[in-house]
Amino acid sequence: AHVHLCISSSCFLSGAGQDVGRSCILVSIGGKNIMLDCGMHMGFNDDRRFPDFSYITQQGRLTEFLDCVIISHFHLDHCGALPYMSEMVGYDGPIYMTHPTKAICPILLEDFRKITVDKKGETNFFTSQMIKDCMKKVVPLNLHQTVQVDDELEIKAYYAGHVLGAAMVQIKVGSESVVYTGDYNMTPDRHLGAAWIDKCRPDILISESTYATTIRDSKRCRERDFLKKVHETVERGGKVLIPVFALGRAQELCILLETFWERMNMKAPIYFSTGLTEKANHYYKLFITWTNQKIRKTFVQRNMFEFKHIKAFDRSYADNPGPMVVFATPGMLHAGQSLQIFKKWAGNEKNMIIMPGYCVQGTIGHKILNGQKKLEMENRQTISNGQSEIERCEPGCCRLSLEVKLQVEYMSFSAHADAKGIMQLIRMAEPRNMLLVHGEAKKMEFLKDKIEQEFTINCFMPANGETTTVITNPSVPVDISLNLLKREMALGGPLPDPKKPRTMHGTLIMKDNSLRLVTPEQALKELGLNEHQLRFTCRVQLQDPHSDPDTLSRIYTHLKSVLKGYTIQHLPDGTVMVESIVIKVSSSAEEPNTKVLLLSWSYQDEDLGSFLSTLLKKGLPSGLSSM
Amino acid sequence: MDVFASLFMFWLVNIAHSLTGCALQSCSDLHSNPLGGNTAAYLLLIKYRRRYRSCLAVDEMGETSSVENEFDDWFIESLKIYNNIHEYQLEHPTRVIEWTSEKTICVAGYSSDKNEILELLLPLKLFSDDNQGLCAERDFKVVHGGFSVGSIHCLKHIPGTRCVVTNDGFNSNLQVWDVGGDDCDVIKRTGVLQLKSASSDKGVKIAPGLTGGPCVLHGSQISDIQLTELTSGKPLYSLGKDIPDLLSSLQFVSGSVFLACACNGDLYVGDTRKPSALQNNPAGGREGVHWCMGVKTDLFSSDPSSCSVARLSSACQVVVSDLRDLRAPLCQAQLHVQRKTTSDDFMKVTWAPALDNCLAVSGFDGMVQIYDTASWRPELMEFQPLFIHQGHMMSDDQFDTSSAVVTTHVWHPSRPRTVLSAAVDGSVHVWDWVDKATASC
Repeated sequence: AHVHLCISSSCFLSGAGQDVGRSCILVSIGGKNIMLDCGMHMGFNDDRRFPDFSYITQQGRLTEFLDCVIISHFHLDHCGALPYMSEMVGYDGPIYMTHPTKAICPILLEDFRKITVDKKGETNFFTSQMIKDCMKKVVPLNLHQTVQVDDELEIKAYYAGHVLGAAMVQIKVGSESVVYTGDYNMTPDRHLGAAWIDKCRPDILISESTYATTIRDSKRCRERDFLKKVHETVERGGKVLIPVFALGRAQELCILLETFWERMNMKAPIYFSTGLTEKANHYYKLFITWTNQKIRKTFVQRNMFEFKHIKAFDRSYADNPGPMVVFATPGMLHAGQSLQIFKKWAGNEKNMIIMPGYCVQGTIGHKILNGQKKLEMENRQTISNGQSEIERCEPGCCRLSLEVKLQVEYMSFSAHADAKGIMQLIRMAEPRNMLLVHGEAKKMEFLKDKIEQEFTINCFMPANGETTTVITNPSVPVDISLNLLKREMALGGPLPDPKKPRTMHGTLIMKDNSLRLVTPEQALKELGLNEHQLRFTCRVQLQDPHSDPDTLSRIYTHLKSVLKGYTIQHLPDGTVMVESIVIKVSSSAEEPNTKVLLLSWSYQDEDLGSFLSTLLKKGLPSGLSSM
Repeated sequence: MDVFASLFMFWLVNIAHSLTGCALQSCSDLHSNPLGGNTAAYLLLIKYRRRYRSCLAVDEMGETSSVENEFDDWFIESLKIYNNIHEYQLEHPTRVIEWTSEKTICVAGYSSDKNEILELLLPLKLFSDDNQGLCAERDFKVVHGGFSVGSIHCLKHIPGTRCVVTNDGFNSNLQVWDVGGDDCDVIKRTGVLQLKSASSDKGVKIAPGLTGGPCVLHGSQISDIQLTELTSGKPLYSLGKDIPDLLSSLQFVSGSVFLACACNGDLYVGDTRKPSALQNNPAGGREGVHWCMGVKTDLFSSDPSSCSVARLSSACQVVVSDLRDLRAPLCQAQLHVQRKTTSDDFMKVTWAPALDNCLAVSGFDGMVQIYDTASWRPELMEFQPLFIHQGHMMSDDQFDTSSAVVTTHVWHPSRPRTVLSAAVDGSVHVWDWVDKATASC
């Protein structure tokens, strides 16, 4: 028997689960409740966009219920509901995220708030102040640093490679642990590495599986397509606009274009919008602490953004004749420089806009990606005040109708693990159970079978709002009494070998939250109990043409010769005793030669008892004297 | 016995296990290299992962070997020579690519151990003709998957069904699989068909029936070719001629007429309605040369000249003939190929279904070559290919690309210049080359 203590880790999924949208997972492990991510559904405009916290709040305040909140990365479907949860629903406990996430997350939240409240005029949304207050509750995490949330709960972040600052987290309570991957990427790219985790053997590995059933086209082909599009447009004298978020894929694409321009000896100018440089450098300094020695060294030697072909953009350049390529913020074309340039260039079919990422509903970016060819927009004036850009609607502003003639290209450079990546991660972490979130169960049966067959572990795919309970097999520490150990030593046998399990007998006392293994005698004494005797009896039939006493004598002689070193007695009451084992002989009057041997032994002599019964079943050797 | 109520007696304590557990834990901590060593890609600001990798080896940036230059050249070149190219990496290499519908293909592993059969949905991008730019979807989707104990050397889809039939290349049994519908993504094995006269351990070639109920033509030698009804396993036709030549290719050219190519190059024409009729067209090929065949059929045409047969030899020759006279070559060519493998296992020749006179050849090295047979002549001459796909030799993984061999290729049924190809490293490429003739005007 092994130690089986059934302690459950349950994962309640509010948000994630099999519904692409938002991530918000509640994990209960060893009595601790942890919320993993607090994402927003980008497809909804009403309450459904936020996770349903009533599951928790009907039992009391969030702060009482949750031990901590962990955010895996800065994408809004993973952190967008954070200010809503902490400031509007109310949560004052710690929120953990990595340094880069902590820096970038509020900018994205503020951006999104502006689109929702200022542009769409929605109410019942969090305010700028709420974002600030929420961020005050954030505790930053370093990679591979074990953070003690409280006496029992500890968390540790691993590199996830999805976006800058993306992390996987290991959550540990006692001997139980859960790893949550967030979004991750197993193939390194131009500016991020591959996800990595040690063989931490968690009880549950919770992995995103949005791309679990895909086989991804290579990064190289995506880049090739990008270059091809840019090159073709520039060749025909058109202008290329690439709206980007200040950080992330923008750097990657700049690096790509720079090399291509060099290689192809291209002359058309490449610009990036003002503000991009400072922002990028700012974040890259943060990023640096996330990289190894080698990258840090190069960063000192050379500024990433001292490009030969890429220069800072001035708004007057947009009217320059001839081809050019411009990287401009923001990425979703909802305001600012990218929108301004777009308005100028949209009417010319020679031009092109390349959208390298996702766009929120209601933005110009989202509209043109849906193939809209005519846009109605307000003619706003932009006032730039350094870092952020504020848009004001001037009194008497006119509606502007814009015809989209330029080519629209959508290219996704997002880095997610595909089917192969998930298998790689499982191989790395060696979990005991696997939990896939963010996918469609019906389309993942094969993957589930594959994981279960290849790694002989259980794989779960809970639906939204479903609770999964996983039974864990934790190792339970037990104190062993010295007396028992000494007794085991006295029994001899081979010396203990750390690589081989060894059986020992004792009595386990579970009392006052402690487990102790003691000698049976001590246990009886401590608990004030009397020892009970447990005896086994068994009948063996034997053909022996002798009188009963003679047969008994023959058995005695036989055992004497076989069992050397044991106490064997022939007692006057007509029994033979070997240690505690009693043997009697009887026969019926009809068949005097068929002897029935009666064996009886105590539990302590179980081994010897079964040996004797087996031995006697074979019969007695001929030529035994009956004394 | 009430003692036992509160006590668990005779406990096994696994002291050793917890000890070793600790030891392992501390070991793995030592290995905690922060980023797994890969993030350094960023620092070099260079083009490709591969170059980066070797830069690390050379120790400083800027130093690039000729291999990398070749690789870069190809990348830049690829901008010009392909309209589209998509490169995928399967977990396990495949030697079969079979269309199961207009938008789905089946691939399967061929390792000696356990294998997977996957049905993949091609990315939308490959099918949207207008507004292609707005379609970001460029990944394969695994729509159905299943497990096979044996390796899969041959896989054929039965038209009009969701069935595929496979063979492991070592015995004559056929495995029948139900690829499955929308309700479930698991491919299940539904039956086994046993060949009447199991005469060979060379594996079986399979040709799906083109008309009538679901049936398959299969055989390992010319002599044991047989047509079997899929649902009942009932043999509908067997050749019954004693010709022990090994079979290399098998294909129906009409509802009942089929072509069988023997490994020695002999071509046979059979008819499942007339068991006694078998026409032999010896190739008179050289000893020790292995042959396979590719057939272009037009099911709507009864004109025998519309059925072109290309035979490819292991000596890198292609002989083209048609049904009017299979003995006399219409034209032939010595291909411009430098063999990199001695195995004839992967040799394949196919006709382009939507491009006149073009055929694709692979299996000798890491390339797929496209030839235009229009300029070929009846006498043997060397010809240059129209297009060469070298992508499988330019893989950006650790795999030694010089030893890459293409395992199979198929044409897209309707897009004239779109080909899917796979190689021994598990790569699958979908490519659509630029026609120089139209591009220049």
